Amino acid sequence: MGREVAESCVDSILTEMVSTYCNRFYANKPELAARRIEAIGYQVGHQLSERYTMERPRFNDHLEAIKFICKDFWSELFKKQIDNLKTNHRGTFVLQDNKFRWLSRMSIDPSENGDLSQDNPEAAENKAAQMTSMHLYFPCGIIRGALSNLGIPCAVSADMSNLPACSFVVRIKA
Amino acid sequence: MIVCVAVVGHQNNPLYIQSFTDADDALKLHHIVHCSLDVIDEKVNNPKKSGPTLNETFLGLLYPTENYKVYGYLTNTKVKFILVTTDLDVKDADVRNYFRSFHAAYVDAVSNPFHVPGKKITSKTFAERVTNIVKSFGFSSAA
Repeated sequence: MGREVAESCVDSILTEMVSTYCNRFYANKPELAARRIEAIGYQVGHQLSERYTMERPRFNDHLEAIKFICKDFWSELFKKQIDNLKTNHRGTFVLQDNKFRWLSRMSIDPSENGDLSQDNPEAAENKAAQMTSMHLYFPCGIIRGALSNLGIPCAVSADMSNLPACSFVVRIKA
Repeated sequence: MIVCVAVVGHQNNPLYIQSFTDADDALKLHHIVHCSLDVIDEKVNNPKKSGPTLNETFLGLLYPTENYKVYGYLTNTKVKFILVTTDLDVKDADVRNYFRSFHAAYVDAVSNPFHVPGKKITSKTFAERVTNIVKSFGFSSAA
């Protein structure tokens, strides 16, 4: 029997993790912070995939594994499935979530970069986008960890051009 | 009675192996486990032979020897579970259930944040759970 965790706790720990890595550990090295956060996600995905694939037959091909991520894995994590899956049939998959839970309640504190937003709204927006993208390295890592544990090495990136929709691009390494 | 259980990683690296006999035959049992890895490979890569059970995690009887029966189980993440038993009339359904509880114990063990993936499982709790499962197996088949 699985134990459950309050959603708000998960939201808070994600926010806190991102801010700790970005502002305290690697304040001036956003790439390094991103890599560390992704690595944490990788471990989480690695362990979760072992658990969630327990009761099912083995996958035949990559598409089946990706479908598992879209349906069962996503339902376990976010109580919903991926809304749209696209593929070019050559190892690239785009998983789109129309209302990604971990971004749906995201807002940027205007006081933090108040000067910026008055003088230069574009720069403020840029900063906001950068902060939001930091929060996406963790789910990217989860997907990568889950797939590599299933024997599919891949690279995962996220695209959030129209929030709160969010898409994850999975490129399978041949 | 189960005499030996083993967990083997996706690169055929041993993650956990434990024998449950009083006699000094651990080496022999390890040898049996080692041999069964080839049988598992063959079963998985030759879909024709294994037929409809192709994608099931439970691989069934790998091979019988004079004194033992060897059963295998392969997870989605290519981790292999191997079980050596001296009972010659075991029901498949029973073995399937025991593998399922082994797998559950394994999942709990690797979910420990201090466990390093791909390294041997050193958790005492895991060893205890496996021992309990093995003991209960002996009882149910004796009854």
